[in-house]
Amino acid sequence: MIQFEHVDFTYEANSETPSLRDISFTVKTGECVLLAGASGCGKSTLLRLLNGLIPEFYPGERKGRVLIEGREISNQEIYDLVGRIGTVFQNPRAQFFNVDTTSELVFGCENLALPEEEIVKRLEKTVADFHMEKLMNRSIFELSGGEKQRIACASVATLHPEIILLDEPSANLDFEGTENLRQMLAAWKELGKTILIAEHRISYVWDIVDRVLYLEEGRLRADWHKEELVNFTEETCQKYGLRSLVRSSPMMFVTPEGYRLEQNTAVTKAVKEQADQIVLRDFSYTYRHGATFRVRELRLPRYKVTAIVGANGTGKTTFLECLSGIRKNKGKLYLAEGENAGQDAAENGLGRAYSGRRCQKLIFMVMQDPNHQLFTESVLDEVLVSMPEEDEDKARVILEEVDLAQYADRHPMSLSGGQKQRVAIACAIASKRPILLLDEPTSGLDRKHMLEVAELLKRLKEQGRTIITVTHDSEFIRICCDEVMELSEVSA
Amino acid sequence: MELQKSFLDPRTKLLLVFVEATLVLATAGGERLVVFRLAFTVLPFLLLLTAKCYSACIVGMLVLTVTEMLKYFVFQSSNGTLSFLLLMAITLITRFLPAYLMGVYVIRTTKVSEFKAAMERMHVPDELTIPMCVMFRFFPTVREEGTSIRAAMKMRGIGLGGGKASEMLEYRVVPMISCSAKIGEELSASALTRGLGKNRKRTNICKIGFGVADYIVMVVVMVMIIYWMAGYFGSVG
Repeated sequence: MIQFEHVDFTYEANSETPSLRDISFTVKTGECVLLAGASGCGKSTLLRLLNGLIPEFYPGERKGRVLIEGREISNQEIYDLVGRIGTVFQNPRAQFFNVDTTSELVFGCENLALPEEEIVKRLEKTVADFHMEKLMNRSIFELSGGEKQRIACASVATLHPEIILLDEPSANLDFEGTENLRQMLAAWKELGKTILIAEHRISYVWDIVDRVLYLEEGRLRADWHKEELVNFTEETCQKYGLRSLVRSSPMMFVTPEGYRLEQNTAVTKAVKEQADQIVLRDFSYTYRHGATFRVRELRLPRYKVTAIVGANGTGKTTFLECLSGIRKNKGKLYLAEGENAGQDAAENGLGRAYSGRRCQKLIFMVMQDPNHQLFTESVLDEVLVSMPEEDEDKARVILEEVDLAQYADRHPMSLSGGQKQRVAIACAIASKRPILLLDEPTSGLDRKHMLEVAELLKRLKEQGRTIITVTHDSEFIRICCDEVMELSEVSA
Repeated sequence: MELQKSFLDPRTKLLLVFVEATLVLATAGGERLVVFRLAFTVLPFLLLLTAKCYSACIVGMLVLTVTEMLKYFVFQSSNGTLSFLLLMAITLITRFLPAYLMGVYVIRTTKVSEFKAAMERMHVPDELTIPMCVMFRFFPTVREEGTSIRAAMKMRGIGLGGGKASEMLEYRVVPMISCSAKIGEELSASALTRGLGKNRKRTNICKIGFGVADYIVMVVVMVMIIYWMAGYFGSVG
C-alpha cells in the first residue's frame, strides 16, 4: 500500500514554484494506476518521491508524509528500496549501466548481492517470461528503441519488485513497441504487482488501469475509478487536455494512393497539376550490417503535410537522413519550377533535377532529439546562423511566428523540449528551404504541445512549404496530415 | 543459459595494454627488446582476429604496411621538411597504432561486469572502478551523440568550409557536452534505483579466471622482463 498524506514538494533547483501541492491519495496493493496530466504537472516528481531519487538525487523540500506499507519513506535509503520498487524510465538511450544486455538484466540482483544460483535462476525465468531469448548477449548499441525499453522492463523484473513505477515509458516507442509494453504491463498486473505509470499517450493503458489520478499544476484534480473510465469519451479527454483514447496503428491510415483525410481536403490547388508533386528517385543506403534500404520512386504531394509510417526497422529515419543529405547517396529529387525548369525538366517531364549538395539545400530536417541540432549561445543567434543572409528584424519576426519572441536571448539548452523543437522549426523557416522534414515531432508531447506543433505545420504548409514527417502518432496524423505513406520496402 | 568466458581474463588484458604502452608506445627497453617489440606489434592484430573484428584488423594492417613502406622506400631518399614530416608521421603511427588497436580489442571484448569483477579480485576500490565502468559505457554514447551532431551541422550547412574554426569547435562541443551530461544524469538515476552504491558487497555472475592463454601471456611478459633486467644489470655490472 502506498499513501501520500498532504505532500508538498519544491525542488531546490526551482525554489519559486512548488512542484507538488497538498497531494493526498492511497494506492492499494495490486492496483494499476495511471498518472495523467500536462507536461510539468508533477507526475515525474511524484514517482521520484516513491523511488527515493528524491531527495538523494534531486534535492528539495518536502512536507507531509509518504508511506509504503505504513513506513515513512524518508527514513529509508534509496538502496533499501531496491528490490521492492522498480523504475522504468523514459529515455531508452540512457538507462543502461552495462554495454551488453545479459549483464544489464542481472545488474540489480548483483548489486543486492543475491547468491549466484538465484540470479541465474531469475535471469532464466525473466528471459522466458518476456520471450527475449533473441535479445540476450547483445550490445545495447545495436538495439532499437523498443528493444531497449523491453530490456529496461526486464532488468526491473529480475529484481522482483512489489511496486513498479514507469515514467513515460512509451515516449520513444512506435506503435508495435507500445503494444509490447502493454503486454508487459498486463503480465505484471496479472502477477499482482502495484503499478504506477505516468504517461501522455494514455490510449494503450486505458483499459488496463484500475484508476487514473489527474494532476494539474502540482495538484491532484481528479481520481477516476474504473466505472468512470469506461464512460470516458474523446470529448472528456480533450476537456482535460489528455491525448486521444483511440488505440490505432498509424498504418491504418494508409491506402494505395495515400490516405486522404476529410477535414484536410480543403487545401487550395493554386498550383498547376505537374507542379503539385515532388518526385524522388533512386534513394538508397546500405546499413553497416549489409541490409539495403531503397526507394526507387516516390511521388510526394507538394505544399502538403505527408506522414511517413512503417514498422520498426523499415528505415524511416534513414530515409529522411538520405533525403536531407546527411547520408551520402545518389538519389535525385525532381521539383517542378514553372518556366525556369531548364533543359532536364523538358526531357523527363518531372521538373528540375536536384542531387547531392543542391538537393541538400532544398531541405531542412528537424531531428527527433533537437538537442543535437542547436549549437549557438542564444535562440536569436540560432535563427540568424540559419539564414542565407543574416537579418535580425526578420529573425525576430520568425521567432514571433513560432511563439518564442520572449525567449530570443535565452540559451537554447535552457529551454524545454517542446520549445527546443520550435527553435529548430524557426531555423527551418529562416533557412528558406522549401521542404521541411520532421522525425517523430510529437514523441513525449502532451496534447497541448502536440496541437501546437500541428498548428505550426498547417501554417507552414499554407505559406507554401512541403512537409514530410515520420511519425507513429495516430492522433497527430488525424489532426494535421494530408497524406499518409507507408514505407516498407526493405530488401536484404 | 550459457555464460561464456572470454579468451583472455580482463586482468591479462590490462597487463597487455600496459605492456603495449610501455614497450611499443614508449619504447622502453631500447634495442635489446626489439624482438619482443615486434611480437607485441603483431599481437593486437591476432587478438582482433580472435574477436572477429576483421575490419579493424585489416584497416590497421594496411595503415601499418603503408607506413613501413614509406619508412623504407620514401623516407630514405627524402630530405628537408618532407623528411621531418614523414619521420613524425611514421613514429606516431608505428608507436601508437598497436597500443590503440589493443585498446580497441579490450573495449570490444570486455563486458563492463567482467571488468568490474576483475577489479574487485585485485581489490581495487569502488571509487576507482565505478567511474572506469561508466567510461566503458560512455565512450560509445559520446560517439553516437557526436555522429548525430555532425550530421545536423552538415544538414544545416554549417561546415568547416566557410566558417571560423573556433566557432566550429564550439558548435560541436557545446551540444555534445550538454547531451552527454544529460545522459549521464539519467544513467546515474537509473543505476541508483537498481542499487548501485559505493562500498557494498555485490555478486558478479561473470566467469572470470586465468586460462592457458593467460598463462602464456604472463610467461612471455615475465621472460621479457627477466631478459631486459639481465641485460640492464649485466651491462652495469
